[in-house]
Amino acid sequence: MSTELLVWLIPLPPLLAFGLIILRAHRSNRVSTGLAVGAMVLSWAMGLVVFGQAVATEHLGDHPIASSIPWLPLGPDVLEMGVLIDPLSAITLFFVVWTCLAIFVYSIGYHNFGKARDAHDKPGLPPHAGGIDPLYARFFAFISLFAFGMLTLVVADNLLLLFIGWEIMGLCSYLLIGFWFGKDSAKKAMVKAFMTTRVGDVFMLLGIAALYISTGTLSFSEILRNPETLHHLAETPAFLGLSMAGLIGLLLFAGTVGKSAQFPLHVWLPDAMEGPTPVSAMIHAATMVSAGIYLILRFFPLLSAGWHPGEPLTTTMVVIAAIGAFTALFASTIAVAQNDIKRVLAYSTISQLGYMVAAVGVGAFIAAAFHLVTHAFFKALLFLGSGSVIHGMEHGAHASHDHVDPQDMMNMGGLRRKMPWTFWTFLIGGLALSGFPLITAGFWSKDEILASAYGGNQPVVFGVLALAALLTAFYTARQIGLTFLGEPRSDAAEHAHESSRVMLAPLVVLSIFSIAAGWAGIKGDFPFIGGSIPNWVEEFLAGALVEHPAEIGFTFPPLLTSLVVALGGLGIGWLVYRRIPRGGTDPLVRWLGPVHRILRNKYYFDELYGFLFVRPAYWFAETFTYAWVDRRVIDGILHAVGRASLRLGGWLRRAIDVPVVNGFGDWVGESTKSAGRTFRVIQSGRVQAYLAAALLFTGLLLSFLLLVRP
Amino acid sequence: MIPLSWYLILAAALFCIGMYGVLGRRNAIAILMGIELMLNAVNINLVAFWRYLSPQVIGGQVFTIIVFAVAASEAAVGLALIISIYRQRSTVIAEEVDLMKW
Amino acid sequence: MEFVNSHLLSLILFSPAVASVIILLIPAGRVRLIRWAAFLLSLVPLALSVYLWQSYDPSASGYQFVEQQGWYAAVRSSYHVGVDGISVSMVLLTTLLTPLAILISWSVQERVRAYMALFLFLEMGMLGVFLSLDLLVFFIFWEIGLVPMYFLINQWGSANRNYASFKFLIFTMAGSLGLLLAIQLIGLTVGTFDLVEISQVWPAFELPLKVAGLPIQIPTETVKIVAFWAFVVAFAIKVPVWPFHTWLPDAHTEAPTAGSMILAGVLLKLGGYGFLRLVLPLYPEQSQAYAGALAGLAVLAIVLGAFGSWGQTDFKRLVAYSSVNHMGFVILGVAAVAKAYGTLSASEAVIAANGAVLQMFNHGLSAAGMFLLVGVIYERTHTRDLAAFRGLFPLAPVFGGILIFTSMASLGLPGLNGFISEYMVVQGSWPIFTAYTAIAMIGLLITGAYILKAIGSVLHGPLNEAWAGHAMEINRREVLAIVPLMILILTIGVWPAWILRVIEPTVTRLFG
Repeated sequence: MSTELLVWLIPLPPLLAFGLIILRAHRSNRVSTGLAVGAMVLSWAMGLVVFGQAVATEHLGDHPIASSIPWLPLGPDVLEMGVLIDPLSAITLFFVVWTCLAIFVYSIGYHNFGKARDAHDKPGLPPHAGGIDPLYARFFAFISLFAFGMLTLVVADNLLLLFIGWEIMGLCSYLLIGFWFGKDSAKKAMVKAFMTTRVGDVFMLLGIAALYISTGTLSFSEILRNPETLHHLAETPAFLGLSMAGLIGLLLFAGTVGKSAQFPLHVWLPDAMEGPTPVSAMIHAATMVSAGIYLILRFFPLLSAGWHPGEPLTTTMVVIAAIGAFTALFASTIAVAQNDIKRVLAYSTISQLGYMVAAVGVGAFIAAAFHLVTHAFFKALLFLGSGSVIHGMEHGAHASHDHVDPQDMMNMGGLRRKMPWTFWTFLIGGLALSGFPLITAGFWSKDEILASAYGGNQPVVFGVLALAALLTAFYTARQIGLTFLGEPRSDAAEHAHESSRVMLAPLVVLSIFSIAAGWAGIKGDFPFIGGSIPNWVEEFLAGALVEHPAEIGFTFPPLLTSLVVALGGLGIGWLVYRRIPRGGTDPLVRWLGPVHRILRNKYYFDELYGFLFVRPAYWFAETFTYAWVDRRVIDGILHAVGRASLRLGGWLRRAIDVPVVNGFGDWVGESTKSAGRTFRVIQSGRVQAYLAAALLFTGLLLSFLLLVRP
Repeated sequence: MIPLSWYLILAAALFCIGMYGVLGRRNAIAILMGIELMLNAVNINLVAFWRYLSPQVIGGQVFTIIVFAVAASEAAVGLALIISIYRQRSTVIAEEVDLMKW
Repeated sequence: MEFVNSHLLSLILFSPAVASVIILLIPAGRVRLIRWAAFLLSLVPLALSVYLWQSYDPSASGYQFVEQQGWYAAVRSSYHVGVDGISVSMVLLTTLLTPLAILISWSVQERVRAYMALFLFLEMGMLGVFLSLDLLVFFIFWEIGLVPMYFLINQWGSANRNYASFKFLIFTMAGSLGLLLAIQLIGLTVGTFDLVEISQVWPAFELPLKVAGLPIQIPTETVKIVAFWAFVVAFAIKVPVWPFHTWLPDAHTEAPTAGSMILAGVLLKLGGYGFLRLVLPLYPEQSQAYAGALAGLAVLAIVLGAFGSWGQTDFKRLVAYSSVNHMGFVILGVAAVAKAYGTLSASEAVIAANGAVLQMFNHGLSAAGMFLLVGVIYERTHTRDLAAFRGLFPLAPVFGGILIFTSMASLGLPGLNGFISEYMVVQGSWPIFTAYTAIAMIGLLITGAYILKAIGSVLHGPLNEAWAGHAMEINRREVLAIVPLMILILTIGVWPAWILRVIEPTVTRLFG
């Protein structure tokens, strides 16, 4: 079997699984699990084979694994649809298949496969007491479709196919966030997620249209590996001083802002925590949010068209860098004040994605891609770990009848003894997230971003990202401290117990990657250890670009900064949160005062958007468009015309029909009648009178004829 | 030979008597008889004119015979009507038969 | 077979009328027989049009399967029918939707015979519009379609049906008036009603026209502009373009389910078809001059249609408004083609025109499906109030799945049909009407809002206890009626080439 065909086949097993589960297999949970996980294993295996082939190919960037077929006739041209494996998609494929598989396996345990169904559980609500989820099979159908969407996106060789995968994921995230649709909050969150990302999507659609019009193709290799096209796009002015490339880049970036939850479209992601935890992991780590970063990485040549390393950034890049850096800091400040274990991770994700966006903005393509990969592993690990914690807490709550919120970290504490496996894997993930030096993957990728920002002469971006890194380390330590250290702060936490092996196995696998993935990208000139392991990531990924990025040499300031912020943040967090007693409060509340309230309420962005956009839009829809324009104005005019016609008809009847036409007819009748009335007196009935009259008139006639006329 | 005017005067007198009967009498039978007189006055005129003015054609006699026929049938119908009215209303006074009056 | 081949279009056109007569011959009391007969007889035109689709040759130019018979020689009007890529897809849509609509009409209990007969008669009217190549015949079929639809709404509709049917009839008649005058004007000036001849003569017609009896001469240009707007208004009402759309929510909402399906699925397409078949070819210059205005109205339809839909509390009315939104894309595509006529961007405009035709087909599928589903839930709950449903997903998982699927097609989810056509329209209009296209994106965004509002209100949230224990699930017959639509929705979404292969050569020939 040729590699090209294999690439075509990668996304299909999950789709097939989805179809089969929806149509038939949902009646049996066992068959559904088998289908979904089996399909994912198949995709995983094919993905790894393709990845292996890709790695083995010399100069993969110039000779990617690609094939395409004609798909959509667009007038004179035909849009081709195909698959492409170049270094960027190969490496994305690698982490996607691994994380997806981990999440699939984890879901089996998370949804209590093998347990009896609790009679009190209702479809659309989370199970109360450890019974299997009533919609278990449906969950696997949805995540299979989700995996299909993501894999399609990764192997796509053109923007339209990428967009198809992108939107299918959007649908799945909608369905999965609302998996427990019986909860009102989930119902709201699912709509919010879909709508917020759709804001970005419609801009992206415009970007696609603009790109096709400007270049006549949507194929990645034809646009992005063609310096002439890029040059032409960079030279064509669009408007507001932007070049065509810049405009298209910004439009596409709007899609990323929506999908990767960048400011100002970040609001949906924390609410997306309403979904079951594997969903959170899937959305936040493995697939959906990564898709946004993948998009801007893919279009990096276009975004940076007209820019060369060392030169000042183009307007588009400045916008991207600014949004990324701002989001990174902004989200990490919010994360500091959240108590929900998953929400902290959600904001952390937003912040980390901001890092990658900022890296793309400053031109650090490889650093961004590297961080995308490592982040996918450790964030999936953290989410799945938090799911394990929640699962344990729910069990504890059920066992102790202490019905506290199982996601509130203030109710946890001391879980390291109850859930050691979860603790250690979570710790690895947390350290990777904070960028714990040398051993964790997060350190290497984050350090590379900081180094690029520093080396690229972007002191503002560098400073903001460093500050964000400090906060990241701090809230991570806070999370670990509140959750695992100290003593249990509720009965539920005391009765929590370790999750099943099917949930722990993915954690272990992911924690291995969370450490080891970083070693593939150690800079050659890093002190002491540099060069002992080849910097494979950089070599491999550089092939994705025609113009190989200039290597940024090692310097000490960024390294020292990242050491200080990572260790400093972790240290402060550990000192503050290592033992919060039962009934204790968060010291931050005391220290920050009103600022904490603002952070806790996410800078009131939900309220602000509600006030600025949502309510006006509702008003516009319900009151303006429907009640005023359609009902009152248009229908009002129609009804006025109708009434005027009726009135005109009435007037015509009153003024013309009744008096003139009817009047004449009536007059003829009436006058005939009155004439009759007048003359009837001569109708006496006396024959002799008639005869006399006849005689008289005959006499008169005769006299006239005989006497007068002659 | 008796001059024509004599006949004419006789006929006029007869006609006037008949007309008086028609206009002046209330009894329907009398009216009918008046009509007969008037018709016969006409007959006298017809015969007289024929004899004096155009004896070679028989037009006047023919007319006379037609008038006889008409008068006879009229008398028959009229009498039948009068009898019928009498049976219905026990009267033959013309003025009392006024059903058709408005 | 020889006869079938040479009279294929007439057979398609008149078989519903014959079926209608046959239905009328069945005793009124035999309801089951009437239903099945209507359904089976409506499969005849479907089978014939599938055969038509198969034997249609996309690469040949001009009209195919042409038939011409003398009909009204005094005014040189003849019975002239033929199909090209645009009409053949519309014919297929019509003959496909009619059996499905009949299948969903089992719930009609009163005067079944009259209902079914009217329905088949309606099918003939619609097919006539798509098939005729003679302006007078076109107009006659155009009007014929109104009558059965009026009675379907007026007799079998819901509470406010009198108002709705009256509004529908008056609105459409108002448009037809100008259309009839303009058709007569063309017919008398050119001396024939034959569309093929008129298309060649009329666009370049220059002689000043003398209005009967009046001493003044009106410049041809003015006459053409007036006639152009007469056509445009007639078709714009049917499509409907904002601000002529307010008949639509009322008519759709009050009509019986099958009536709404046909209204949204086919009747609206008559307007779009009119634009493509008559307005653009007959008035290229005027269309070009007023394309901007048309695009503006289309964008208003897209945006305000979406907002209007979002603002509804009535499920069926929400779906009805969505038609305004979706048909706006058809008009946007038409406007783009008109604007680009004869210019360098014509090749982009062809994309928009292809998109417009495909959008008509797609909207026919998804809107019909949506109305069908609204009908299904209405039959079980006897309410259309969105606030009254809530959380029905567990009670009706299959219905819910189908609803989500169909809604997503309507929303324009990539992988399903709506996306392809909307993308093509956006793609084609972008270089021609950049600002308008950008504004239309607001409509696309709000499309998401109203679709999610509908799904959320019906399926999601805590179950409304009032429905607990009620049987909500869609039954087998209804599934059978919607499955063909779903298959087509998916097929077009995944492999659009099979239908574009037929549409595209014609569109390129006409507007390229």
